[in-house]
Amino acid sequence: MIVNDEDLMLECRKGDMSAFELLVRRHQDALVNYISFTINDYHRAEDLAQETFFRVFKSASRYEPKSTFKSWLYTIATNLSRNELRNRGRRKTYFLEDMVDENEDVYHSEYMIDTRFQPDILYEKKEQQQQIKKALNRLPENQRLALTLVTYQELSYEEISEILQCSVGAVKSLIHRARQNMKNLLIKVGIGENVNAKS
Amino acid sequence: MQKVNDNECHNIESQLSAYIDQALPSWQRHIFRWHLKRCSNCRTKYIELQRTHTLLSNIEPVKASDSFLSNVMADVTSANTIHRENRSLINRLSILVDKFQMWMRGNIRAYNSYYILGFFVGVFLMVGVTLYSPKIEELNLFSQFNTKTINNQERLVAFEVILQPEPKRTLKIR
Repeated sequence: MIVNDEDLMLECRKGDMSAFELLVRRHQDALVNYISFTINDYHRAEDLAQETFFRVFKSASRYEPKSTFKSWLYTIATNLSRNELRNRGRRKTYFLEDMVDENEDVYHSEYMIDTRFQPDILYEKKEQQQQIKKALNRLPENQRLALTLVTYQELSYEEISEILQCSVGAVKSLIHRARQNMKNLLIKVGIGENVNAKS
Repeated sequence: MQKVNDNECHNIESQLSAYIDQALPSWQRHIFRWHLKRCSNCRTKYIELQRTHTLLSNIEPVKASDSFLSNVMADVTSANTIHRENRSLINRLSILVDKFQMWMRGNIRAYNSYYILGFFVGVFLMVGVTLYSPKIEELNLFSQFNTKTINNQERLVAFEVILQPEPKRTLKIR
C-alpha cells in the first residue's frame, strides 16, 4: 500500500522518524535537481536541499494538509534558492561555467582532449545539454523557476501558483514567455532549429 | 482549407504552453487540435515550442549524493535532541518537582523513618507559618527603638552645629 505524502507528513508531526525518512527518500533527487537547475551549483544545491528538509522537519508541527506536501516543500526550496541568488548577487560569486565563452568549444579544448572513454554521440549530447543549461540560466529568475517546476517537477499550474505566490493566469503567461525566450536562446546557440527557416 | 480568424490565432498562441503541459480542459484541447489542423502558422509555433520542451526535458536529471539521506537524518536527529534539552524554565522546574515527588514517594514506600519524620516536620512548619505567622514587631524585641534610630539615620542628611554665644557677663555694682 502506498501512503501519500500528506499522510506521511501527519505521521511525522506525531514524531515518526521513519515517515520523515521515507519522505526524504521520495523527494531528495527531485529537490536537489530542482535547486541545482535554479542556482546552477550542484554542491550548494545539496546544502540547500538539506536545509529545506531540515526546515520541513522543524515546522512539521505547524503543517496542515490544506495544500499538497509537494507544493509546501517546493515553496521552502524556492525561497531558499531565491535567497541564495540574492546573496550571490551581493557577494559577486563567479562560476567557471558562466565564465566560459559562449562560442568556445569546451569539450574539444586541450583540457578535455581525452576522449578515450566517451563516444562522440554522448559527447555531443553532453555539450548540447550544457548549452541548454546555460540558456536556462539566462532566463529571468521567475521564468526559470516556473519553467523548471513545470518541466522537471511536473507540478500543476495551481501548485506553481502557490509556490510562486501568484495567480494561475500569471503562471501560464510566465511559462509561455519562458518557453518563448528559451526557444529564441536555443536558436541563437544553434540547437533549437527554426521550423520556418528549415522549410 | 478554411480561413482562420486572427483573434482565434492569438488566443491559441497564448495557450500553446498550457496545451503542451496538459493544463487545458479536454474541451479546450479539442478546439486547440481542431485549430492546429487548419492553421499552419500556429502549427509551426506549436512544433517549435514542443521541440524546446523536449530538449529541456531531455536533460539528464541530477541526483542527490549517497550520503545525502544520512546527512539529513543526522541533522534532524541532532536538532531533535537539542530541542529536547533546551526546554523552558517552567518545564525544567516541573521536572524537578516531579523528581522530588518521586523521591519522596520512594522514601515513604521504603518506610525510611528519618525522611518521613522530616517530611512531616516540614509540612507542619509550613502550615504553621502560613496560618499563624507572627507579626514583625513581635519578633523584633527592640522594634520601637530600632525603627526610630533607622528613621533618624535616614533623615540625617546634613547637620549644623549651632554654637550658643557665651552669655555676656554683666557686672552688677552694688
